[in-house]
Amino acid sequence: MAYRLGKGILAIGVAAAFLIAGAAAQGVVGDTSPAGETVDPSDIDNAVAAADSGAVSDPWEGFNRSMFSAHLFLDRTLLVPAAKGYRATTPKSGRRGIRRFLANLRAPGVFVNDVLQGEFGRAGETLSRFVVNSTIGAGGFADPAAQIGIPAHGEDFGQTLAVWGIDSGPYLFLPLVGPSTGRDGFGQIVQIGMDPLFYVRTPPADIARYTRAGVGGVSAREQFLDPLAEIESKSLDYYASFRSFYLQARKREIANGKVDYSDLPDIGEFEEFDDLE
Amino acid sequence: MSKSMNGASSLYRLAAAAIASVSLIATPARADDAAEKFVAEILVDANGVFAAPDLAARNAGIEKLVDKYVDMNRVARFALGPYVRQASDAQMAEYLPLFRKYATTVYQSTLDPYSGESLEVTDSVDRSDRDFIVNSKVVNAKPGSQYADLVVHWRVYRAADGKQSIVDAGASGVWLAIEQQSTFKSVIANNGGGAAGIDALIRDLKSKLGE
Repeated sequence: MAYRLGKGILAIGVAAAFLIAGAAAQGVVGDTSPAGETVDPSDIDNAVAAADSGAVSDPWEGFNRSMFSAHLFLDRTLLVPAAKGYRATTPKSGRRGIRRFLANLRAPGVFVNDVLQGEFGRAGETLSRFVVNSTIGAGGFADPAAQIGIPAHGEDFGQTLAVWGIDSGPYLFLPLVGPSTGRDGFGQIVQIGMDPLFYVRTPPADIARYTRAGVGGVSAREQFLDPLAEIESKSLDYYASFRSFYLQARKREIANGKVDYSDLPDIGEFEEFDDLE
Repeated sequence: MSKSMNGASSLYRLAAAAIASVSLIATPARADDAAEKFVAEILVDANGVFAAPDLAARNAGIEKLVDKYVDMNRVARFALGPYVRQASDAQMAEYLPLFRKYATTVYQSTLDPYSGESLEVTDSVDRSDRDFIVNSKVVNAKPGSQYADLVVHWRVYRAADGKQSIVDAGASGVWLAIEQQSTFKSVIANNGGGAAGIDALIRDLKSKLGE
């Protein structure tokens, strides 16, 4: 059964690759290309870019917008129906159990990054959670660790690089992979090596990896069905909104939830605002 | 700065001092007491709105709160970024009411997940003597629920005369007006920037609002 599921996920992956190529060939992807290529050279736009305090630059906007369009196509044809099917067939508690199980599998990678960041207290929490949840938490499907006061946290190698002082680099969007930055995309590749399963090269381990990737994607998408639909329906430019929400949330994630309010832009400090007072 | 000592602000300080003396605790007067109090009062009203069982009533309630407390003209100007300097009077006259409508719908949909919950002020941060972040959280959030670790932020702006208003709201480090500015700048820049870009933004706002 798991074997069949694994093959199914693999088939979806292959189909996805064809769909991206097909979409590109049919020009589905290119509908925003004028937007990406329009670079207004006037001073004001440079000033706009410079004034965007703490913002990550997006020099690859044309490419990213094409990838975003390809992603939305795959999202609508594959991910959203799969996520809705998953929601319809799996009870809420079951979906939460699967999210917890997948999160527990990520614990070794989180632990490595906690240590690399010198966050030994948090590393201890990650280790305790992994031990508690893998045993009395029914292999990770339950989260007794949170109930005894050890809350979950995430870490990845991109965050470690950020803590080490590496700049985010340009914003990057890839179909099915989602939003990231130059630094965080590189971090994701390194992160693959922090997965113990990566080193087990047997057919069952391969199936387990593919299955986890597929289930993980659908599980993550299910969680964001409503918020993303809401953002898309309200946004004047879904690509730009998505980018802003992602980059803002990512900044907080890197800061381990401690929000730095000092780099927020001022609201109401332009001289044009004087007539309001 | 001396500005914040004027007008209504000093009234708030007096009130805060009075409360402190009643409680017999010599708390030093913190600059953000008035900002926290301002948000706490709004949350009393907001929690009443969140309790309404039907969506239309909640949306009407939130619109009323937004009109009363959010300085929409200020947020609207912020959302244009530096392009605000390039907008003509005619464009601003068309843009400001559209923005008010648009931002209100964003507040309505953003706040709807808090239906049935209530929020309380937890702490605040002074960015300057005119600019405050007041944080709040869901009261009695269940551990492990989506509300458990959620921080809802309110950006309070204090005008020179001491009058306070909300200029942004956010959750867990993600702010609405900052997203709006980022998106609006993108729309303007990708439609040729300047006057043409602002016209495009106005057109997009109209079509989004079904006008």
